[in-house]
Amino acid sequence: MTSKKVVELFYDVVSPYSWIGFEVMCRYRHAWNIELKLRPSFLGGIMKGSGNKPPGVISNKFMYMTKDLSRLSEYFDVPLQSPSDPFEAMFQKGSLSAMRFVTAVQAREKDGDKKVERVSRELWRRIWMEDKDITEPASFSEAAMKAGLSDSEIKEVLELYNSKEIKDKLKSSTQNALDHGAFGLPLVVCHVNGKPEVFFGSDRFELMAHCIGEKWLGPQPNQSAAKL
Amino acid sequence: MTSKKVVELFYDVVSPYSWIGFEVMCRYRHAWNIELKLRPSFLGGIMKGSGNKPPGVISNKFMYMTKDLSRLSEYFDVPLQSPSDPFEAMFQKGSLSAMRFVTAVQAREKDGDKKVERVSRELWRRIWMEDKDITEPASFSEAAMKAGLSDSEIKEVLELYNSKEIKDKLKSSTQNALDHGAFGLPLVVCHVNGKPEVFFGSDRFELMAHCIGEKSVVPK
Repeated sequence: MTSKKVVELFYDVVSPYSWIGFEVMCRYRHAWNIELKLRPSFLGGIMKGSGNKPPGVISNKFMYMTKDLSRLSEYFDVPLQSPSDPFEAMFQKGSLSAMRFVTAVQAREKDGDKKVERVSRELWRRIWMEDKDITEPASFSEAAMKAGLSDSEIKEVLELYNSKEIKDKLKSSTQNALDHGAFGLPLVVCHVNGKPEVFFGSDRFELMAHCIGEKWLGPQPNQSAAKL
Repeated sequence: MTSKKVVELFYDVVSPYSWIGFEVMCRYRHAWNIELKLRPSFLGGIMKGSGNKPPGVISNKFMYMTKDLSRLSEYFDVPLQSPSDPFEAMFQKGSLSAMRFVTAVQAREKDGDKKVERVSRELWRRIWMEDKDITEPASFSEAAMKAGLSDSEIKEVLELYNSKEIKDKLKSSTQNALDHGAFGLPLVVCHVNGKPEVFFGSDRFELMAHCIGEKSVVPK
């Protein structure tokens, strides 16, 4: 059996398209011969480092995104709901603290990535399904609790997430994405024969499968019957 | 048999992603129960009308696009090759005259759209495969000739393409796309149960199939 191909997923919980990419890659980690590595990153830093602006600042793009996400949500079975004030959630409040928290969860996790996966998902649910805050420590506690972390674990992560070590880890992951040419998130980097194949967004899965020698089976690869 | 769903494809030959979308939709017009309507438009007008900028102006986007197009070209079997100076081709020289020419071909075409399809393809080949000009009348003649138009047809189109009628037709098509919320091209508008489903870009075919009740297969 050939060795697993390493696939890195750079993401930020403030990004709705990242949630879609995240859920799809989590489903495919068992369907494809890959080793999925979650790389929490900071979208604001990607924008700054690449000189790009979020798509939502162009009025027609914002309106299109709203409809696009609604259709993709249904198609990919990811329960996205726009926050009541997306601009406030995405641009004013942002995600720096949230991604530091996620980074801290990952830094503490000794075995695998189940915790960072679940905490990330709970944070997406807060902002992109339940219209809740993701900037306050109380918000992180609630998300971590729902993700199954114990009270003492949560306490340790809260003590850790504003440390220099964690801030640097997040900066480093974000810089990694920029070094791969990122101008937004999600970014998927597939390591094939020593070469990185970089895919931006959540609409390159079929091409990605082709490039890494796997088969694209649609949004739910683990369901037995072929989905139309 | 249910009536065909009308699917409009708004495109500009200066846009490489439009070429991919165009070839895929031309292949699907026989595989899906659709009536494909080609809508030549002006990308420069879309950008202006939506306040957007071309992706290539962001350095990382430009570099990514180059690799992305190369992979998509191979996967979709559309023979894309970057021009030697993409910035000059796309931003300085542009496509206003070219799209007026395409509009004029379509305006003269009485039966179907074979000619406008072929001329569009020849223009894409010029800029996005052969690194040739698409701003001069001689370029349009050559493209139209390769597309199978006769000398007299070409002469008529050359006389027509700078007329007010054609300029207005192109403006109108472009405005149509903007009214559907365009901020770039290609734009595919599928009319399903009287409602327009709008898809931007050439990476929504699987979702499009799902939304219009058709099946998406690897488009070779």
